[in-house]
Amino acid sequence: MPIQKRFAEKTSTYLANIILTSVLTTVNINASARSWTGADDLPTAPLSCGTSTASAAPRAYDGGTPVKAPNRKDKRLNVVDVPKIVGIGYFNATSKGIAAAAKELGNVEVRTDGSTKANIDDQITSIDNYITRGVDGILFAANDPVAIAPILKRALARGINVVGYDADAARNARQWFVNQAEFNSMAKVLIDTLAREIGAGGSFAIVTSTFVTPNQARWIAEMSAYQAKCFPQMKWLETVEAQEDNVLSFTQTTTLINKYGNKLAGIVGMTTVATPAAAEAIAQAKKCGKVAVIGMATPNAIKPYLNNGCMKSAVLWNPVDLGYAAMYALRAIADETLKPGSVSLKAGRLGELKVVKGSEILLGEPYVFTKSNVNRFDF
Amino acid sequence: MNVQAASLPRCFRHEALLLVLLAAALLSLAWQSDRFLTADNLLNQARLMTEVSLIAIGMTFVIVSGGIDLSVGSIFGLVAISMGVLWQSCGLPLPLAMFLAIAAGGMAGWLNGFVVTRFGVPSLIATLATLILYRGLAEGISQGRSVRGYPEWFLQLAQGDLFWAPHQFWLLTTCAVVATLILGWTTFGRATYAIGANETATWFSGIDTRCTKVWIYTASGLLSAMAAVIFVSRVSTTRSDMGTGMELEAITAVVLGGTSIFGGRGTVVGTVLGLALIQALKNGLSLAGVKSDGVIVVIGLVLIFTSIISNLCSHDEGRS
Repeated sequence: MPIQKRFAEKTSTYLANIILTSVLTTVNINASARSWTGADDLPTAPLSCGTSTASAAPRAYDGGTPVKAPNRKDKRLNVVDVPKIVGIGYFNATSKGIAAAAKELGNVEVRTDGSTKANIDDQITSIDNYITRGVDGILFAANDPVAIAPILKRALARGINVVGYDADAARNARQWFVNQAEFNSMAKVLIDTLAREIGAGGSFAIVTSTFVTPNQARWIAEMSAYQAKCFPQMKWLETVEAQEDNVLSFTQTTTLINKYGNKLAGIVGMTTVATPAAAEAIAQAKKCGKVAVIGMATPNAIKPYLNNGCMKSAVLWNPVDLGYAAMYALRAIADETLKPGSVSLKAGRLGELKVVKGSEILLGEPYVFTKSNVNRFDF
Repeated sequence: MNVQAASLPRCFRHEALLLVLLAAALLSLAWQSDRFLTADNLLNQARLMTEVSLIAIGMTFVIVSGGIDLSVGSIFGLVAISMGVLWQSCGLPLPLAMFLAIAAGGMAGWLNGFVVTRFGVPSLIATLATLILYRGLAEGISQGRSVRGYPEWFLQLAQGDLFWAPHQFWLLTTCAVVATLILGWTTFGRATYAIGANETATWFSGIDTRCTKVWIYTASGLLSAMAAVIFVSRVSTTRSDMGTGMELEAITAVVLGGTSIFGGRGTVVGTVLGLALIQALKNGLSLAGVKSDGVIVVIGLVLIFTSIISNLCSHDEGRS
């Protein structure tokens, strides 16, 4: 059913384009003039090619500040964690990390509450209710960086400590953001890995969630900038949408294989759902070894493909660590050990984490899973 | 006008039931959390529930007339993205973009009415088709990009206060009162009930049922369009996936409010009570520490409970 609905939506999108072009021929719409890669239109900052990594210049703190926050030093904290969506593996893992950190700290009460739909309105309403209810801290993963900002600013105005993880909000709407991996370094790792597998002149396609999803759109923008800079011979065939849907990702990949035939040398999955589904599609089309699949994936989902050789590598960070670090950041703010000007955060078993870009805490470099290391992970 | 006279006592009974439920919910929720029954919190709820409420008011007319409008959520998305694109990409002044986008919402509603009346397509099918069509248009127009950076005065529309209450509170109250008057005390309102009770008989008694229905669907589109503009102002961004699933929230409130899904029966007051009950439960339970999944379960149970009670009442009446 969803596929049929999706198909119908697609059809009507084409219809829409036909109507649009006929109606709006006189009006030049910026958006449609550009090639459609699924990237957002924010500025990009591609890293330098090769292995050298230049460190960015330090910036002054640019996060928000809570108004008249009470002294919470060493006091018991009542914290709510509002992920994008509840009930999927990825955010179950972040919640697990948050709960583990809270247990370790001993003086934090934390609960995870969110919608079963990744819906901006539900998330805003939920945070609104927790502000009214009275909490000391909010951990969030934003469904939309702009839409969530007013309500987070209200939380700050009520003296609540606000820390983001996974998906950021406008910078002045939260205090700190725990960044799992910087967008440009993620993009670099993905394109470098891709180039290694399909060669610097190969053609590839991307399977993403939707063109509106902020993280994915950002990665794609950085990837296209880095690819243009470092591998100009590579050919970007197409970006297709597959929601975060298993069946749809499989179908879309199969369509790509049929559409481009031997031209298609690689597929990049932009979500943890798309990558294993793409690998499955390649396996069923008996194209293992002919079409490379890389992308973001959780280890458990891609173990079989890495082990049977259909995939060589996948990229991600550890979501459990991400939640864990976010909880430590919130505690550190309350204890005033993490404040504007700090250069690092002591995050329990993760050790010292670096502060980057004014008010972000960097979890680390993206992690590349291969056949040799994937069996060490279980999430 | 017998239709309305006959249905009044029954409707009153349903609304009385809702009122009792609402009072019970308010009291028990206030007992669960001391932050619930405060003017600040309750007025804030008006801000959060206005979009669905406006759509539900339009939906009440549609359902009373025996139809259904599934496309409201997609009109919502289409209007939001049209406004953003007209303003940012086409460079029109924002007030003009707002006006044009709302007009487009009215047109979208009109098209629903046109297809339903001119070609005799059942409203369920016609609006299911436009649900897909309008969402596709919204995605096509947006090209996957969101529109941001609205000026401060625009954001104040839905984030600001007038006197002691949010702007939306006043707008919602006005709309609810006007809609109550139209449905209950005008020829148009009586025609709406009559169409829902027996369209053929209404047609033969000399009422232009087609024209009435086209107006109803157009109004439903306009209200969704207004809701969309308010929503964009409240969340300060525009995305093509806005309003997804909103049609079901609106329909839930309308049927909880006692409007018969077969048409001919229902009031705006009932819908408003239904909306208030749902919002009170959502907010109050959440403040009392119930998680979101639990809240949805309670709302589902309340909906089943009220429809059973309501059905029992009307059965008794039918027999006597």
